Amino acid sequence: MSDRITRKGFDGWRWAGRVFLTLLLLFTVVPMVWMVLTSIKTQFAAMQYPPQWWPQEPTLENYTKLLNPANPAGADFLRYFWNSLYISVATTILGVGVAVPAAYAFSRFRFPGRTFLFFAVLLRNMFPAVVFLMPLFILMRWMGLVGSHGSLILTYLTFGLPLSIWLLKGFYDNIPIQLEHAARIDGATRFQAFVLIVLPLSTPGIIATAIFSFIGAWNEYVYAITFLNKKERLTLPVGIQKYFAEFSTDWPGLMAATFLMSVPVVVLFLVLQQYFVKALTEGAVKA
Amino acid sequence: MTRSIGPATLAPPRKSPGVVRQIVNQRADYLYVLPALIVMLVVIAYPIWFTIDMSFYKTPASLQLRDRSFVGLKNYATILSAPAFWAVTWNTMIWTLASTCFAFLIGLGAALALHREFAGRGVMRALLLIPYVVSAVAASYVWKWLYHSDFGVFGALSVQLGFTDKPINFLDNLYTVLPSLIVVNIWREFSFAMIMLMAGLQTVPEQLLRAAQVDGANAWQRFWHITMPHLKGVSMVTILLLMVANFNSFVVPWIMTGGGPAGASDIWITHIYQIAFGRQNWGLASAYSVILFVVMMALGYFYVKALTRGDEGRAG
Amino acid sequence: MKKKTNMQIAAKVVTLSVSAALAMAPVAVLAQEAIDLSKWSPAYVKAIAGTAKFDTVGDCNKVVSTDHAGRVTYWYTGPADSDPEISRKVDAEFWLAFKAAYPNIAVDAQNIVYNDLLDKFRVALLGNAGPMVVRLQILGGVEFGAKGYLQELKPEDVGYTSADFWPGAMKSVTYGGATYGIPTNNETMAFIYNAKIFADAGLDPETAPATWDDVVVASKTIHDKLGIAGYGMVAKQNAGNTPFRFMPQLWAYGGSALDENAAAPTYKTIGLNSPGSKAALQASYDMYVRDQSVPVSALTNTQGENQAPFIAGQLAMMIAHPSEYAKMVDLASKATGADKAVADEVVANMRYGLMPSGPDRRAVVFGGSNIHLVKGEYVDGGQDDMAARALICMWTSPEWSTKLAWVGSNPGNLKGFQTEWMKERLDTIKFLDVTTSMLPNGIPFPVIPEAPEIMNIIIPDMLQNALTGKMTVDEAAEDAAKKVEALLSGL
Repeated sequence: MSDRITRKGFDGWRWAGRVFLTLLLLFTVVPMVWMVLTSIKTQFAAMQYPPQWWPQEPTLENYTKLLNPANPAGADFLRYFWNSLYISVATTILGVGVAVPAAYAFSRFRFPGRTFLFFAVLLRNMFPAVVFLMPLFILMRWMGLVGSHGSLILTYLTFGLPLSIWLLKGFYDNIPIQLEHAARIDGATRFQAFVLIVLPLSTPGIIATAIFSFIGAWNEYVYAITFLNKKERLTLPVGIQKYFAEFSTDWPGLMAATFLMSVPVVVLFLVLQQYFVKALTEGAVKA
Repeated sequence: MTRSIGPATLAPPRKSPGVVRQIVNQRADYLYVLPALIVMLVVIAYPIWFTIDMSFYKTPASLQLRDRSFVGLKNYATILSAPAFWAVTWNTMIWTLASTCFAFLIGLGAALALHREFAGRGVMRALLLIPYVVSAVAASYVWKWLYHSDFGVFGALSVQLGFTDKPINFLDNLYTVLPSLIVVNIWREFSFAMIMLMAGLQTVPEQLLRAAQVDGANAWQRFWHITMPHLKGVSMVTILLLMVANFNSFVVPWIMTGGGPAGASDIWITHIYQIAFGRQNWGLASAYSVILFVVMMALGYFYVKALTRGDEGRAG
Repeated sequence: MKKKTNMQIAAKVVTLSVSAALAMAPVAVLAQEAIDLSKWSPAYVKAIAGTAKFDTVGDCNKVVSTDHAGRVTYWYTGPADSDPEISRKVDAEFWLAFKAAYPNIAVDAQNIVYNDLLDKFRVALLGNAGPMVVRLQILGGVEFGAKGYLQELKPEDVGYTSADFWPGAMKSVTYGGATYGIPTNNETMAFIYNAKIFADAGLDPETAPATWDDVVVASKTIHDKLGIAGYGMVAKQNAGNTPFRFMPQLWAYGGSALDENAAAPTYKTIGLNSPGSKAALQASYDMYVRDQSVPVSALTNTQGENQAPFIAGQLAMMIAHPSEYAKMVDLASKATGADKAVADEVVANMRYGLMPSGPDRRAVVFGGSNIHLVKGEYVDGGQDDMAARALICMWTSPEWSTKLAWVGSNPGNLKGFQTEWMKERLDTIKFLDVTTSMLPNGIPFPVIPEAPEIMNIIIPDMLQNALTGKMTVDEAAEDAAKKVEALLSGL
């Protein structure tokens, strides 16, 4: 009997959940749909009022233009794509490499200044990044990194570190310390215990960290536009801004470029996110 | 979260005398954090120092930066006595609190709704993640176009559906501009909260929930007394991160309205950018940044205190 | 009346110079007719076009020899993907020509978007990583000249004379008594309108509104009768477009920011709270608030957002560059199907008129760009003076200053008006004669380093305060005047 009652009560919530999800989905998807619709219109068709819901003559020319290396716009786009990819991957690898040991230390060890350091790591996010533009540029100059991808990689590294360390610390907190105790009893050093036992278990956390780092670096705009000058070095967010030259606004081109720019991160996120959640589920069902 | 049993075996035995001794003894610990420390020191310490230093100087438009003149606390006085300061602060409060609150709540709702398996859940989850990965620049332009006062889709819809006889004015109205921007911000951020909370929901023990259900607790009671406490840690982290991100969220307001109209959507970060790059007044902008930073520090301090409270017993 | 006399004189000049040219044909190539700015009119411009030839490479080789070996780095705003094809073609041709003239100079040219160039340049200078040569819009250079980042540079340094450039343009590159740049191109905007919309609304399709008061009335009429926006007002903060469109209005009513509209400005008196300025602001208020005859999105619009409605027949009037027509033609050519019909009709009905006048005068912003030489210590890799001069010489030559300004502007070097390419432009570009004729009415923005802040921030803020109703027109003007005063007094 209590089953029946609870099932009915549960159903009410279930339906509320479904309605909520549907509305949320609409909210999420409508701008994306409009972006795609605009991207298959000709430049003129996009500027109609009242707006055309479905273009009378849909065209893929905005996309073919961007993906065609022979076309100057396409050649540029592909180069920006490559630059973004390179910078994001480098940032991710370095970021994970730096964050993992640090998070482990914050989770497991107690040493003087631990709280302060932990706090200091978060500090970084609190300073308005925008105002750092000038001093960071001077710093990059001093280090000889001006205009290079290295300046961005270094900067993005620090953007991502606080969040990475937070996330990973949380994962390490969740891993029972008995495993490491057991390994130490068996004769492993602290470092060996860390690398051989703990690291593999924290893979979901590392993947989550990697994803956040990658996306952060991929989408970053303000620093990219300040630090990079040479056209060959620009990243995607900066490159697609070229569609907004002073005298003209190529909305369909911009929307197409935006779409193409978003595809890699979305795909990456979707593929890895399933793995990440799955691993979490399995990992969490431990007594 | 597990706690360690028995005496600590991971760290070398602690000696009572002096901090220096401790540091020397536990120097291996520091090696783990060394790379992170070096990066942070180099790339953060200098700009922070530079900004704090610059806040005490005046940088007129006709002189180079190195010819700046020392004015002490005058920049701070100018800022705190300007009427614009309070308006911008008010905007920032509304922007940060509303964005964080709603993004979190919507994320929580989505995480809860997606918690149970159902057909199409994977697809749904995937679609809901999209706003987070789309670049802020792209999102700003798309929404700007959607909101457009004369030719935007939303405005056109409201006329076609008969709600209004003129397209709704979202971005060019002193009162509706900030809420409109907040909606865009929520759109971008709720999936972050959703992900974090989804991970957190995994840690809620199923047995407890079932037991409570058998005992007759309804869904709301189960949620409030069992689920929420387990989500506390994740929630606090999420809220803190969201608040910090929103405080400093630059791209969306800047690209969509540039702080306008008439400063109605000006938040601290866009105001600072305007002063630094638009008006070339680096001293004033630096002073502003320091004030912003102090506020955030205070905010963060309490949160970190709350979060690290639970850590005392864990490490060895 | 004055115009008719000018035309009579111009006609006489044409006749005389034609006969003189015929009589001295071989010598005419060298003895170029001096340009008389007081005779400036559409007819005069047509008359002097194609009357002289120049040997660009030869002239520049006198300044820098052709086998000079070195490198030059250059930042400028070149053609964007969405600009007409011919701009890109000409840009490519220039670099080829430069390479041919100076084969041993390595060139590194960066095409940077208009809205980003100033910021990037500022940041680069801070890190001593600037380019050797930079071409900035007319308002941009004074800040760097004042701060001592630029080398002194005048036309004589590359083989031309200062008299060959507009006085207003030379004013814009002079600070503290020294000249630190050369005008590359100058243009003034014109008033563009859709004749068909005018006709539909009962206005005379062949006459642009003569005064700003007429614009207000026309805008209202169009909005009331046809339900579309009349005048494409632009009031965005931090956007260069806004002062270019509002200042002509301000000056027309007798207002001003400082005293830039005086014959010999000192830039020390403030004019924003004068009755003329308030009247101009009131006109904008009337259009936006009282009549609601302009786009609601004017507060966040740049000119780019006016183009879409205009080509769709949803906007009747706007102020824009000479290049706007080419842009519309380009857009129409890309349209297909039913869109094409609408677009073609708009293009066919597009008209250029003179900037409206006001109680005080007819005024327009003297716009354009200048090319500057950066001091060696701030340049990434040091300065190569000769290579830079070679580039500057070619860029500001009559031939290239004309060609590079093909679509959107006019040569800064006045001799450019005499080249065959100017003639070709006049023959092929519609309305060019109208936009060039306004050049003498041009007033440059105040040539002080604080000018960008005044023009791009304080004045748009004033507009926004008034138009959103946050302050009354009076209060907004007074507030702006106070801000300018605080700015200039160094607070």
